[in-house]
Amino acid sequence: MSFFLEPLQYEFMQRGMIAAILVGIVCAVVGTYVVLRGMAFFGDALAHTILPGIALGYLISGGTRESLFWWALGTAVIAALGIGALSKNSEIKEDTAIGIIFAGMFALGIALISTVRSYAVDLSHFLFGDVLSVSTQSLWLILIFGSLTLLIVFALYKEFLTLSFDPILAATLRLPVGLLNNLLLALIAVTVAVSLQTVGVALMVAMLVTPAATAYLLTRRLAQMMMLAAVFASLSGIIGLYLSYYLSIASGAAIVLTATFFFLLAFVWRRIRAG
Amino acid sequence: MYSHIHHQANQPILDVQHINVRYDGSAALEDINFHLHVGERVAVVGPNGAGKSTLFKVVSGVLPPNSGDVTIFGSRPRGHVCIAYIPQRSQVDWNFPVSVADVVMMGRSAKLGPLNWPHKGDWDVVHHALQTVELSDLATRQIGQLSGGQQQRMFIARALAQEAELMLMDEPLTGLDTPSQEGLLNLLDTLRGQKVTLMVATHDLDQAARHFDRIMLLNHRLIAFDEPQNVLQTDYLLQAYGGRLKIQSGGTMVVDDCCPPEEK
Amino acid sequence: MTKRFIFTWTLTILLIGGLTSCFGSPAPDVLTSTTILADIARNVAGDQLVTQSLLPFGTDPHSYQPVPQDTKKINQSKVLVVNGANYERSLEPLLASVGDKKELIEASTGLRFLTDPENDQEVDPHLWLDPNNVIVYVENIREGLTQFNPDGADVYQANARAYIAQLQELDAWINGQVAQIPPQRRVLVTNHDSLEYFAQRYGFKVVGAVVPGFSSEAAPSAQEMAALIDRVKLFEAPAIFLDAADNPSLAQQIATETGAKVVTDLHLESLTEGAPASTYIDMMHSNVTKIVEALK
Repeated sequence: MSFFLEPLQYEFMQRGMIAAILVGIVCAVVGTYVVLRGMAFFGDALAHTILPGIALGYLISGGTRESLFWWALGTAVIAALGIGALSKNSEIKEDTAIGIIFAGMFALGIALISTVRSYAVDLSHFLFGDVLSVSTQSLWLILIFGSLTLLIVFALYKEFLTLSFDPILAATLRLPVGLLNNLLLALIAVTVAVSLQTVGVALMVAMLVTPAATAYLLTRRLAQMMMLAAVFASLSGIIGLYLSYYLSIASGAAIVLTATFFFLLAFVWRRIRAG
Repeated sequence: MYSHIHHQANQPILDVQHINVRYDGSAALEDINFHLHVGERVAVVGPNGAGKSTLFKVVSGVLPPNSGDVTIFGSRPRGHVCIAYIPQRSQVDWNFPVSVADVVMMGRSAKLGPLNWPHKGDWDVVHHALQTVELSDLATRQIGQLSGGQQQRMFIARALAQEAELMLMDEPLTGLDTPSQEGLLNLLDTLRGQKVTLMVATHDLDQAARHFDRIMLLNHRLIAFDEPQNVLQTDYLLQAYGGRLKIQSGGTMVVDDCCPPEEK
Repeated sequence: MTKRFIFTWTLTILLIGGLTSCFGSPAPDVLTSTTILADIARNVAGDQLVTQSLLPFGTDPHSYQPVPQDTKKINQSKVLVVNGANYERSLEPLLASVGDKKELIEASTGLRFLTDPENDQEVDPHLWLDPNNVIVYVENIREGLTQFNPDGADVYQANARAYIAQLQELDAWINGQVAQIPPQRRVLVTNHDSLEYFAQRYGFKVVGAVVPGFSSEAAPSAQEMAALIDRVKLFEAPAIFLDAADNPSLAQQIATETGAKVVTDLHLESLTEGAPASTYIDMMHSNVTKIVEALK
């Protein structure tokens, strides 16, 4: 029993766990749409595209975690809507356009950060997350924006469902398709900004996609899929932090590895059931 | 946002004037003109790529035409929520984690409005629709578990839940075995009594002739639109099908048009 | 049409290339890796030679990535001064290509290096934070400069002697300052392991570092964080000391949980342009003052 309680006597572990759970739930719910609509690449691109925004914020405002959150949020929303607009209106194929932007923006971010003296440390925090240094203020930001996101997903549940399953039906029902699409992109952006602290840019797509993909293997009912995904994501956060504590490995990576392990378990289980 | 335009009486339900649609420089639809009256059942025939899906998308207000006008009961399609577009089965993600009832309920999204969850009244409409198409006992099945014919009926139920008055069905009979096709056509017959206007895209000229009031022959242009015996004439068919048509002695026609294989 | 296009572009590129090389600053005689070494070397070389640092002010040498201009500067300067003890890891490829063609002075030659208790191969490069080590630096630099320019031997000798006297004064001053701190509070926690030489010389105990290891480039696991918090509590460390270039968020996390202060403005790896650390001696004055402030 003390095995479970020992790490929790540290405040940083308590905050880290809460952050990992909250982030896990939001990523799982929004990630369900990412998986069903095949937007994993977009999610990854978005996570990388916000790096120059964070870098700029760091250069301009000196980079407390909280101010960086706002820079990340702003950049993410603009980037999401921008990528959305570009994919619709250009002759270049969508994944090519996304790839070009994401690589270019990421490089811009690294270039900007490298002008700061101690950039290697900060870069690694942005890339791999910093769940061990989540402050109480950051936790409030995660809670508020995470809840807001979940609230909107819940309120517009049937609209997003209709839009994702059959966009033509949505159009014939005169649902505001453009608005809803952009809103979903913005929600993904908010999720990315909120999750940046726990797993960072490089591992973000794992939190968006892996728990939802795991749930998809186990159920064919949307509401259940979201709930299962949230459970897997939260468990990954908790177990990952315990692993970081007892095995002394990087926390962000430990969380993602745990989520991936759950996926593999579900995959094998499905195979056994089918075969 | 969701208010529905009042239907003006004494107007044709659908009036299409000089519709032109161009994709990438070539004409998908050229100068289409026709109108439909309430309760009419029209079969839309033509080779693959003739523009049938495009026409449906323009009529339902999903795709704006390059030029021309579509009016539903005297006003533009955008205000109406009574038009149902039933997609080709191949275009649907059958792995999507929704049940039959979930899909039928989607048809009520416009009636519900944002932020509202379905009430008992909505569930009654959904159940009634499922009964009409005889899918009540499959209501909780995930949609990937349905046969082709059942999938088609689910979409009809959805259109009924939507309280659609104009149904545009994109190749609903393609790939179904003969009993399923007959079952579907019988179902469409019963809708006649509910004053639902139908446009059905199909490859089967024989069925078109037997079950529909008028046939629309389409190949980017509107080649003919009249009762079956007036439309299924050699010269019209040659205009539509070109080299794919072979007239054999005795009056039988062979139309070679690639269709997907039969499903169970 | 295409030929004209290619010609115009080639001309433009050549022009730009030519102009930029014109605007590059002239290479110094003595090129050091860091600003700290530049100040020390300048005190020995005097006005006769132009001494410059390769890394600009405020750069963290642990994470420095060389740029093409650096190769040029290295090639064009006549004497190179580096710290040694694996400090200039990222510059190694550039220095290797220079080979025997230049006078290369390793300032820490002859000094005894401390190693990581868990890993013999890892050497702690932060020797300069003990002024007594810097005295040896000065002697090595004097030797190297004399070899390079025997004519200046007397000047270098005199400069070195004068500077060493200043360093000895600094050492005495530090001892006096440290005496103000009660013995049980002579506890240091740093961002990474940079103050070990200083601690051993002046009687401090280094209880731990936020980022384990001799470089600023790592990030701790939860286990390492927890272990550090335990040690900080155990030794009642009053403060965590960070270089001005370090990211304070992890240190602040530890401070919240232990009640320690966070001091964020030491200068350990680089001088500043202007106050408070424009020379090595000023830098040490500033650092020690802040350490004593926080601990006494």
